[in-house]
Amino acid sequence: MSVDRLRAFKHLSAGIALALLAAACSSATPTAAPATAVPAKATEAPKPTDAPKPTDAPKPTDAPKATEAPKATDAPKPTDAPAANKANTVVIDRAEDTVSLDPDRAFETLTGILHKAIYQTLVTFPADSASEIKPMLAEKWDISKDGKIYTFSLRKDATFSDGAAVTAKDVVFSWNRLINIKGNPSSLAGNIAGVKATGDLTVQLTLTNTDPSILAQLVNTAFGVVNSEAVKKQGGTDAAGADKTDKAEQWLNQHSEGSGPYMLEKWEPKVQTILVRNPKYWGTPPAIERVIFRNVAEAATQKLQLEAGEVDIAMDLTADQVPSLKSNSKVSVFESAGDTVFFLLMNADKTIGGPMSNPKVQQAVRLAIDYEGQKALLGGKASTPASIIPIGFFAAYPEDKALKRDVDGAKKLLADAGFAKGFDIELAYPDFTYSGFNFGTAAQKLQADLADVGIKVTLKGSEVGVWLDGYRQGKLGFCMSLWGPDFRDPGNYLEFLPGKKVGERAMWSNTNSDKTIQDLRDKALVETDPAARAKLFASIQDYLQQNGPFAPVVQSAVQVGLNAGLKGFVYNPQWFVDVSLLSK
Amino acid sequence: MLILRFLARRILLSLPILLGITLLAFIISHLVPSDPIVANLGQRAMSDPTIVAAFRSEWGLDKPLPEQYLSYVGNLLQGNLGKSIKSRRPVIEDLKAFLPATIELALSSILLGILVGVTFGILSAVSRNSWLDHLVRIFSLIGVSVPVFWLALILLFVFYSRLGIVAGPGRLDPSMTAPPLVTGLITVDAILAGQWDVLKNALSHLILPSLVLGSYTTGLIARVTRSSMLDVLGLDYIRAARAKGLSQRAVVMKHALRNAMVPIVTVIGFSLANLLAGTVLTERIFAWQGIGSYAFLASTSLDFQAIMGVSLLIALVFIATNLVVDLLYFALDPRMRTS
Repeated sequence: MSVDRLRAFKHLSAGIALALLAAACSSATPTAAPATAVPAKATEAPKPTDAPKPTDAPKPTDAPKATEAPKATDAPKPTDAPAANKANTVVIDRAEDTVSLDPDRAFETLTGILHKAIYQTLVTFPADSASEIKPMLAEKWDISKDGKIYTFSLRKDATFSDGAAVTAKDVVFSWNRLINIKGNPSSLAGNIAGVKATGDLTVQLTLTNTDPSILAQLVNTAFGVVNSEAVKKQGGTDAAGADKTDKAEQWLNQHSEGSGPYMLEKWEPKVQTILVRNPKYWGTPPAIERVIFRNVAEAATQKLQLEAGEVDIAMDLTADQVPSLKSNSKVSVFESAGDTVFFLLMNADKTIGGPMSNPKVQQAVRLAIDYEGQKALLGGKASTPASIIPIGFFAAYPEDKALKRDVDGAKKLLADAGFAKGFDIELAYPDFTYSGFNFGTAAQKLQADLADVGIKVTLKGSEVGVWLDGYRQGKLGFCMSLWGPDFRDPGNYLEFLPGKKVGERAMWSNTNSDKTIQDLRDKALVETDPAARAKLFASIQDYLQQNGPFAPVVQSAVQVGLNAGLKGFVYNPQWFVDVSLLSK
Repeated sequence: MLILRFLARRILLSLPILLGITLLAFIISHLVPSDPIVANLGQRAMSDPTIVAAFRSEWGLDKPLPEQYLSYVGNLLQGNLGKSIKSRRPVIEDLKAFLPATIELALSSILLGILVGVTFGILSAVSRNSWLDHLVRIFSLIGVSVPVFWLALILLFVFYSRLGIVAGPGRLDPSMTAPPLVTGLITVDAILAGQWDVLKNALSHLILPSLVLGSYTTGLIARVTRSSMLDVLGLDYIRAARAKGLSQRAVVMKHALRNAMVPIVTVIGFSLANLLAGTVLTERIFAWQGIGSYAFLASTSLDFQAIMGVSLLIALVFIATNLVVDLLYFALDPRMRTS
C-alpha cells in the first residue's frame, strides 16, 4: 500500500503541476536568438506550412466582409452530432480544471483555451508568442499622454453568434460585469477606474494608475466580450453587487454568447467539453467543425491514447515521455520553453538572511549555480533565463545572455565578503513538483553546487501551505520558489523590485536598495512607449544579473503531443492552442 | 420479527455514526495547514482584499468554525449537502453525476471477483496441493500484491495500445454519444435505450479497469474461499456425506460451500465497500470520471462541502454493505436466526 500511496502522491503533484501548467513562450535557442533586447522572435516556432494564416489579428482591409459570411451549407447540422466525423473533429486530451465557463468567472488554464475560441478580446497577441499587441475586436486605440485613458475604436463587421453586432455597450457590459462579479479573474481589473461607451463603436477605459502592461492584460479572455442583450436575458447583470445578483452563470456553463469562431455545444463537468463551429462567424470559418476536450488527468494515459490514434492532441505530456514518442511516425511532439521561472531568494534583511543578505554572497550564489545541470534535470526544452523575466517575453534577454557558472569567481566573491571558509545555511523549499520541476531534486543539486564554493546547505523541504506562509511573509532567509506570470508582459516582473510584492518577500525595500534600481523601477512602472520600455527592461535585467536578492535557476519546458495527421498547431504562451487554426 | 428489530436497531445506530463522520471529516479537513483561499484563488486575486472577501462570503468561510459546522449539519438535516467550490454546483448533484460511473466499475469488478475468485478458490481447495492449486495460489498472491497503477499501465499498453483488442481509457469512444440518462450506468442505459453498439463499446471500455480494480478483490476472494473451504472439507459431516456415497459435486457445492460461505460473504461485502471508496488510482489512469476522481479533486482544493459529501457517502456505503452482509448471515446460517 505504501507504494500505492507514494505513487498517489506523485500523481497528485504531477496532476497539480499539469493542471496548473503555466504557458510557454516561443523559444529561442542560444544560437538562434538575436542578441539584442528585442523580443526573441519565434525562430523555432512551428511553421505549419499549410495552416490557415492566423485570423486573430485581422487587418481592417483583409477582414472578410459580413457578406462573405459562411453560407448556410457550412453550418453544422444538428443531426451530424452523434457520430463525430473523424476528419471534421479534433479530440484533445487535457486535464480539466474548469470551475465555471462564465468568462467573467473562469480563470483556469483550460478555460483560457476554450474561451480563446468562443469569446474575443479587443486586442490580442501574435499567433505564436506574446511579444507584441495586435488588434482584434478593436481596430485601433489611442493612449492619453498620462497613460491613464485608453480609447478603443471597434471594428464594424464583428458579430455575435446570434448575428447581433458587437458594439461598445457589449464591451462596457462585459468589463463591468467582470469587475462587479469580483471573481478570481477580476484581479486583472483591479486598476480599472471606469469604462464607458463614447460612441456606438468607441470604448473609453480609464485607469487609476498608469499601467503600461494593461494591453497585455486585456488579452486575457476574462476581458472577452459577451453579447450583453443575450446575457441580460439569462439574468446577467453588470451592476454593482453582481457577485450576489448575477444569475447568468448556469446558462453560460452550457451555452455561449460570444463572437469567436466556435460556440459551446456542451460541458459535461470533469468528462468533456465540446465546441462546435459558429455558423455565423464574421471571420474566416475554421476548418474543424467540432472540437472535443476530454478530461484525462494522467500523462501516461494521454500518451497511450495519442499513440493509439484516439486523440489528436495530448496537452499534458511530461519531458521524460518525449524520447519514446520521437520514434513513432504517427506522432509528432512540439517542444518549447515554458514561462515559469524557478528562482532562489536570498533575504536582504541581515537578521533573517544572515550571510545571504550580503550582496557579494548573493552574486557568489548566482555564479555558483550549475545552470546546465539544472536544465538537464528538468529535461525537454528547459532553459536558463538571463534574469527573472522568462525568455520569449517582450524585452526579455535571450538565453545566451544568461549567467554562466564560475566557481572561482564565486569563491573570490565569498572571500571578499569575509566568508573565505564558507558558511552553513538552511534552504527552504516546498516539497512538490510543478511543471515537471521537482523542488527536492533541484535542491539537492543546488546543495552540491554550493558545496563546491564552500557554502554548506541544509535542506528543509516542507508542505506547500506551510512553506507558502513563511515565503509570503518574508520570513525565509534562503529559499527556492517559482513565479508563473499573471499576464504575459515583463511589467509583471517589476514585482521583484524593491518594495514590490516579491521584493518585499526578500525584505528588499527602498531603504536597503540603491537609487539606480529604484529609478529604473519607477520609470518602468509608467513608461508606455515600447522602444523606451525595452531599453528600461534591458537596464533592469543588466542590474539584476549583478545585484539583488534573487537568482534565477531554470525556466520550465512545455511539450505537446500531436497526431501526425493534424495540421495548423501553433503554440501560444497565453492560450496554448488556437483551435480555429487546426485542420486535418 | 427478529430481523425487523435487528434492522431497526442497526439503522438507528448508524445515525450517530454518520454524524460523527461529518464531525471528523470537518475537523480533519480544517486541521490541514493550508487555506482554501490559497487552493482556489490565484496569486494576484489573493492579494486583492475585495476578491478574498467576496470568496469568503460566498462560501461561508467568514463565519467562525463552530458556526460553519452547525450550519452544515442544519442544512444536512434538510437534505442539503451544500455547494462545491470547485464545481460551483450542489454537492448532491455532483455525487449524482459521478457516483454511477464508480458503481458501474465497482459492480463489474466485484462480479469478476466473485465469479473468478470463488470458482478458483473452490477448485483450488478441492484439489489441494495439485498444480491447479499452486497456480491459483500464485495468481491470487499476484492479484493481492501487484500495484494497481503498474498493472493498469501494463494492461493498457499491451491490450489497448499494442494489440488494440479492447477499448482504452474513458467510458466511451469520443465518437460515441452516451445513451439517454436513466440510471447513469452506461451499460444499463444502453440496454434500456436498445443502443447495442453503445453497449458493446461501453463493455469494451469496462474490461481493463474492471480487471485492474478487481485484481486485488479476486485474489483476496480466491484465498479466503480456498482456506474457508479447506476448513469445512476437513469436518466430520463432510466425511459422513462422502460415506453416504454422495457425488463429489453434491458434497462440495451443497454441503461444504454453504458452510464455507460466511467468511466469503464477509470479505465480498468488505471488498465492495472498498471498491467504491478506493477507485482513485484506477479512475485516474483510465480517465474514469467517478467518485474517486471527485474526492481527489475535492481534497486537493480543500473543497470542504465536497469532502464532507464524499465522506458521508462512503460511510453510508460501508454501513449499507455491512447491513447486507449481516442479513446474508441470517440467510446462510440458521443458528443466527434463533440466537
